[in-house]
Amino acid sequence: MDNIAFQGLIGLSLAMYLWLISAGLTIIFGVLRIVNFAHGSLFMMGAYLAFTFYGLLGLPFWLAVLLSLLGVGLLGFVMERFFLRKIYGIDEAYQLLLTFGFILILDDAVKIIWGGVFKIPPIPAFLDGAWRMFGRPFPVYNLFIIAVGILVALGLWVLFEKTWWGRLVGATASDREMASAIGVNVPWVFSSVFAFGAMLAALGGALGIPVRVVAPGIGAAMIIQAFIITVIGGLGNLKGAFVSSLIVGIFSAYGTLFFPVFELFFIFVIMAVVLLVRPQGLFAR
Amino acid sequence: MKRWILVTFVIVLSLGFATPDPAAAQCRLGVPAIKIGVQGAASGPHADYGRQIEMGSTMAIEEINAAGGILGCKLETKFMDDENKAATGVKNARYLVTEWGAHFMVGTDSSGVAMAMGPVLAELKRIHFFTHAATHRLTEDLVADKKIKEIVRVSVPVYQDAIIAALIFKDRPEIKRWATIGADYEYGYASWSMFKDTLKKYRPDVEFVAAAWSPFLTLDFSPHVSAVMAQKPDAIFSTPWAGEAVMLLRQALIQGVFDQVQVWWQAMGGSVDVLEGITSEVQKDRFKGKLWATARYIHNWPDTPENKAFNERYKKRWARFPNYSAETTYSALFIIKAAVEKSNSLDTTKVIEALKGMQIRNPGGLRVFRSEDQQFVYNVPAGRPVMDPKYPIPVLGDLRVFDAKDYYRHPPFTPVVVTK
Amino acid sequence: MMAGRPASRLSLLVGLLVVVLFLLPLLAGRYPLYLAIQILILSVFSLGFNLLFGYTGLLSFGQAGFFAVGAYGCAKILLAVPNLFLGLAGGVIVAGAAALLLGILSVRHTRIYFSMLTLAFGMMIFSIAWKWRDFTGGDDGLVGIPRAPLTIPGLGSLSVATMERYYYVVLIVSLLAILAMYRLVRSPLGLTLQAIRDSESRAEFAGVPVRSYRLAAFTIAGLYAGLAGALLPPLENTVTPPVAHWSTSAEPVLATLMGGIHTFGGPIVGAFLFFMIKDIIVRFTEYWLIWLGAIVVVLTLGFRGGVASIFANRFLSGPVITRQSEPAPPPAT
Repeated sequence: MDNIAFQGLIGLSLAMYLWLISAGLTIIFGVLRIVNFAHGSLFMMGAYLAFTFYGLLGLPFWLAVLLSLLGVGLLGFVMERFFLRKIYGIDEAYQLLLTFGFILILDDAVKIIWGGVFKIPPIPAFLDGAWRMFGRPFPVYNLFIIAVGILVALGLWVLFEKTWWGRLVGATASDREMASAIGVNVPWVFSSVFAFGAMLAALGGALGIPVRVVAPGIGAAMIIQAFIITVIGGLGNLKGAFVSSLIVGIFSAYGTLFFPVFELFFIFVIMAVVLLVRPQGLFAR
Repeated sequence: MKRWILVTFVIVLSLGFATPDPAAAQCRLGVPAIKIGVQGAASGPHADYGRQIEMGSTMAIEEINAAGGILGCKLETKFMDDENKAATGVKNARYLVTEWGAHFMVGTDSSGVAMAMGPVLAELKRIHFFTHAATHRLTEDLVADKKIKEIVRVSVPVYQDAIIAALIFKDRPEIKRWATIGADYEYGYASWSMFKDTLKKYRPDVEFVAAAWSPFLTLDFSPHVSAVMAQKPDAIFSTPWAGEAVMLLRQALIQGVFDQVQVWWQAMGGSVDVLEGITSEVQKDRFKGKLWATARYIHNWPDTPENKAFNERYKKRWARFPNYSAETTYSALFIIKAAVEKSNSLDTTKVIEALKGMQIRNPGGLRVFRSEDQQFVYNVPAGRPVMDPKYPIPVLGDLRVFDAKDYYRHPPFTPVVVTK
Repeated sequence: MMAGRPASRLSLLVGLLVVVLFLLPLLAGRYPLYLAIQILILSVFSLGFNLLFGYTGLLSFGQAGFFAVGAYGCAKILLAVPNLFLGLAGGVIVAGAAALLLGILSVRHTRIYFSMLTLAFGMMIFSIAWKWRDFTGGDDGLVGIPRAPLTIPGLGSLSVATMERYYYVVLIVSLLAILAMYRLVRSPLGLTLQAIRDSESRAEFAGVPVRSYRLAAFTIAGLYAGLAGALLPPLENTVTPPVAHWSTSAEPVLATLMGGIHTFGGPIVGAFLFFMIKDIIVRFTEYWLIWLGAIVVVLTLGFRGGVASIFANRFLSGPVITRQSEPAPPPAT
């Protein structure tokens, strides 16, 4: 039925948005073996910066998004270079704790700088409106997110398979000692990867501002979903993250349509089952 | 020599203790200051409501102090963030009363926090004037039933969100199919339930065709909107509030909802933060006159000199419009003043006694105390957000005013079904 | 790892502290008593957590799940039968059972997978607490829980309605729990857990059933979490779902980190610090998250032994735990 197809399309846009957040988290874990608890906060910073450039300073939307990517990339670089680097090689527990500390700091920092009230800018004209699909108006914005998600997926594939940097990163991820032995500047690779992952989180945050409020704590809501997706897909597995984003996004959309009782609970159950049965993820080779 | 210096030092210090505090000398209640503890949600996405509670109480206290205080006693205030968590709210209440010495307390946004605080107030023997938390159970269960007299409610409860909607839209015969996009917790269930029960009494022909529930902190409502719109409702009853309301409205707009439905009832849509968030849409009339809203106070009603002056003072003090939680908290302070003056005491029992039969004029209108459930009853209209040249943010226009007695529930209270 | 006798100076200090704790109601007002109860509860919670983390090497992010099971279990019992003894015992037992069941599943993994799994389980319990309105009261939680009298059949009934009396209940229960844990970590079980933490393969090679020991640690941690949780409802008269949330699971983690993972007393010191720091910060500013976050960052970067490590040489504090994967602790100052 048309309504079912429509809901599936909505689910797809949900999935692509989740993919943007999960991609960065996956890359950071895959290469640096860090579970970045602060990923949601980087997402939030992307939203705040984009709001500042677009909503407060009036810059064009695309420029605001670009600037927010650069800003959060810089923030990510600083976090890795001056903080995380100090605790490599030590128990993973401390990485979790350090990134948790960042969450606390950033959540208050945005309140201090921007105030505690939520913010939302006007929707950019080119994202407004709807196209008729399956007999109902499907928002242009949601189509845009689907397109961006697919482009990012393709782009990442090209980046890691075909480019010099991507292959360097891949080599370092598989065996950092070997990479170092053949002359790769491993610390530099780590910093650039963390900054890159941070930028992906910021992309999600920035692209969300036309329809989502910018407020303290929006990162915390996203991070749990992103975690679940990366675990189901396999920590560090990009293809897995893409597919599990699709699963979670479309499942949630149909859950809302058919089972109003459908809850986050079931997603946690799936996460637990995957961890128990196939901890390397559903899509590990 | 050193010993003499030390002795002199001690004597001078002691004199400091002995000198009567000039402020205390005028206070006819024999305390250095009357202490008011204030709590609200100052963190998370609903942080503005706690802010507004803080701003409202601070301004009230400044005004009262400038006019000589209460019976010559100055007021002191302390605001604490309850994080919308019951455990924090209770802990803060204990701290404010037993450590800081609060004589009275005001505030509280979350219904959950309010319900947890109720029994603790009885233990602490301090009155808390609730200025936001909307659950009917605070007054229907804890006061009317369990007789906790330390609970006083100053803001209109969930009757406003649910029953007024039924009263307005029962007279629209063409609206037969209702759906809800509901907040997935007690507030959403209770208001939808109360709305349906009330509407059904007047309009047995009405159908409730769809429901989608969004948990606290949902950021993306597009699946909820599309699920509900699949059933082609005539009207939507929406209870996610504050920032969630703004997001939901945005996401509904781009799905063309306002071309299809006849009415969208937005609970607490008249709140200042929501009106600020939808200003650009209202300016362009994107809601096509179909958006309806109410609040627990709206800044443009009643159209009295007192309310206008309150708005002016508030804007001057804080550079923002007063939200409903600000007005209710502001009024609560003046209620405390009236009660303490009448009882000439800070004793909880005497002050509760002094509240009986109280009628007081606040910026929001006349509030009348009802002993059976210790609520200050007043009415707030509902209307459509429109632009008014006098204000930079939308106001509610096309107002429907109802008498409080027509939509407040009365004892004996029948239980409300609170499930989905 | 040296299992040496604690310096007599330390025993004296601890003894003095216990005396002060018993005299606290005479020395302080009701709010400090209330804080002390909260600190004792967090201490018990953190002690159990550290058995799992410091001694066994498993970082759990879901301990709040068992804390909640203990809390809700006790609450439901008290609402039906106002007997504090039954409520506490019942809460602990149910929490232990839950920990055993989930533990069987969880200890199949280690490190990051273990942590994520415990996070998932904890949040599942949170979801249940939130959604199962009929049983748990949903987002409203359970209210009106009585601070029931301590009734032991055959021995009589003691009212604990006042804050002072309830404080003594919590104090005695906590001291017993701390003592039990102290004996536990110095027992063969405790030493075996540390061996497993330091080298799983070596322990296996020596014939140790690693998974069973981990399960034991997990279950005991769950029992302690449940006990801590069960002590909460009579204090607050309410239980709400946030007690199961991962942010509550983070509390023993932060407390233990602050106090010191390497020492027995670290979690207790950390519980005290955690509570006092937050309590004092919020009196002055609403921006307490940034201060707490800064403290976490500083501790993680520079003082991984926590506060206890700063005083490590002044008082030799029981079995000193070191972790093989860590760099050697800095020379004592």
